[in-house]
Amino acid sequence: MTDPLSLAPILPERERRALRFNQELAHDARQDAFVEHVQAGGKVEAGDWMPDEYRAAVLRFVEMHANSELMGVLPERDWILRAPTLRRKLALTAKIQDEVGHAQLLYRVAEDLGKSREAMIEDLLAGKTKFHNVFHYPTRSWADVGVIAWLVDAAAIVAQQALRDSSYGPYARTMRKICWEESVHIMHGRDVVVTLVSGTDAQRAMLQESLDRWWPPLIQMHGPRSPREKDRDLFWRIKAKTSEELRQEFLSIYVPRIRELGLTLPDPQLRLDEATGEWRYTEPDWDELRAVVTGHGPASEARLGFRRLSWAEHAWVRASVLGAPSVAA
Amino acid sequence: MTVGDALLPATRSSLEILLLAMADDEFVIGFGDSEWTGIAPLLEEDVAMSSLAQDELGHARALYELLASVVDDGRSADAIAYDRPPEGYYHARLLDHERGDWATAIARRYLYETADATRLEALAGSSFVPLRDLVAKIRREERYHLMHAEAWLERLAGAEGEPRERLLRAWGRLAPDAATVLGPLPGELSLEMSGIADATSAVLDARWRAAIRPMLERLRLPAPPPATEATAGRTAHSAAFRDLWSEFTAVRLSEPGATW
Amino acid sequence: MTARQGLEPYEVFRQEKDGDAMRHGGSVMAPDPTLALHYAREMFGRRQESIRLWVVRRSDIAVLDDADLLQPPLDRSFKKPAGYPMRDKLAAARSGARARASK
Repeated sequence: MTDPLSLAPILPERERRALRFNQELAHDARQDAFVEHVQAGGKVEAGDWMPDEYRAAVLRFVEMHANSELMGVLPERDWILRAPTLRRKLALTAKIQDEVGHAQLLYRVAEDLGKSREAMIEDLLAGKTKFHNVFHYPTRSWADVGVIAWLVDAAAIVAQQALRDSSYGPYARTMRKICWEESVHIMHGRDVVVTLVSGTDAQRAMLQESLDRWWPPLIQMHGPRSPREKDRDLFWRIKAKTSEELRQEFLSIYVPRIRELGLTLPDPQLRLDEATGEWRYTEPDWDELRAVVTGHGPASEARLGFRRLSWAEHAWVRASVLGAPSVAA
Repeated sequence: MTVGDALLPATRSSLEILLLAMADDEFVIGFGDSEWTGIAPLLEEDVAMSSLAQDELGHARALYELLASVVDDGRSADAIAYDRPPEGYYHARLLDHERGDWATAIARRYLYETADATRLEALAGSSFVPLRDLVAKIRREERYHLMHAEAWLERLAGAEGEPRERLLRAWGRLAPDAATVLGPLPGELSLEMSGIADATSAVLDARWRAAIRPMLERLRLPAPPPATEATAGRTAHSAAFRDLWSEFTAVRLSEPGATW
Repeated sequence: MTARQGLEPYEVFRQEKDGDAMRHGGSVMAPDPTLALHYAREMFGRRQESIRLWVVRRSDIAVLDDADLLQPPLDRSFKKPAGYPMRDKLAAARSGARARASK
């Protein structure tokens, strides 16, 4: 595991010095001016000077997001071949294409912070960097396609919408494009779910089983509660909301939408506390979350193994036709 | 009154065979291309292959819909596309090979796209108006497919060492089956006589070879050998296709007749 | 086609509809301009959201973002509409004109 707040400089000293941001100031004053700038809602661009901690934090955040989009392709990919109608197959193919497209957009943002795409993919395959918990679980039925596209994407979009105003300009702009595209996925997912709910008993049972299975990872997805004042990503305005704020937002929009379809959620404690306006739920298994995102989930090894295989299979294309990776950095 | 009623019975059944052959070709290559989703050599290329897959499947869907309106027996496009035993599929043998490596994907795409372009050109002035209209739309989308296939064929053939060697190996496996795309179809003479197509398979085969010759000569790639036992080119399917069939029918067969 | 080997970033600009300005969309990695255009089409045009795309090799772009040159510190308000605040002045002129007319 890498130390998430590792301060190892990403850019060589020479290049860092060349970046302009209040150059005339001494280092500490420059850092203070930067903090003031981002906390006042100011934006940072790829070519600007930024403190090493900020660069490392944005990179870690964007890299994990990119990894998640890339790994998120695999659970659904198996169902492209099995999609039961032409329209579903087209929609699913287009949806998964978007996930790869988002990985591309995000890796581009991360690459411009100074880490090559090759290095990021190799760190991912070596288990040095993380991806979202939900993509460490296997898919078992066609209903999973609906539940993932509707609810996993909904949970993700709640987080992503809060990133459209990130202090890191290239990331904020990318999130605007991604949110626009993801809204279609949710509609596709909901359409699959509503069709199954209105179908045969076996289809409804398949859907309920899928929802029961996905609910615990979904409720863990935004991460454990953490105090606002200790969160460095909030400090730098890389993100705007805490895990719990995102989870509450997700629950308040989607629990009613799930229940109105006659589906049940496998948490007897789940209810809206009218007094506080907050959702109450059984404390999620945070040990499971930690184990899963560090590569010990039920499908972690299979997914990474599959990726390693295809990465190795294409080494010859990268080496020859696409050229060797840039060694300039 | 349906779109097929104005046709002579023999012409109508030949047209059905042609539409089925074209639709199945696009359907099966669309599956092959969609398998690259998530695992192409470059993320940008991954997205490109997925677009190609979506285009091919979109063409398949439009062709099945047209076929459904000509056959007019109450079956939907989905029912025609999915609800047949594996031996009932009528795609060309070129598309029956396993996915293979990236060089195989490019060789297959190039050989198929060039043959398909020749086939579409022969239908561009079709006397059967619904087909002529559809072909005009499909051809606009196929332009990009051809550009993409040619761009990669050039890169692989032009890079000495492993890329070219892999391409030649893939070519050796696929090129012998390339002519099956334009192989003779039962009743094709009536298609020509009724003006549905402007020529029969022998002429199309010659046009296709003439079209690809300059590029193949420049890239020093051997011309695909002439077709043999051509009638089997669309009926005897491989184990790889039967595996694919059991995958793509699995969900549908799990609850027959259900809405998905 | 270039003889350069390797992937490099290309910036992508897109026009959304006829008459719009070309706007920066993002970037793609490509080994040459031909594939860069293909990939730009995929990343910024696959939903029919663009009618024209430009790709430019990033290393070919010359950048000017020096505040001394672009945001000079001394007054330039005479060059901008906002440099001519009119409301209060106009109100005074109108009431002056009315006063003079009523004399």
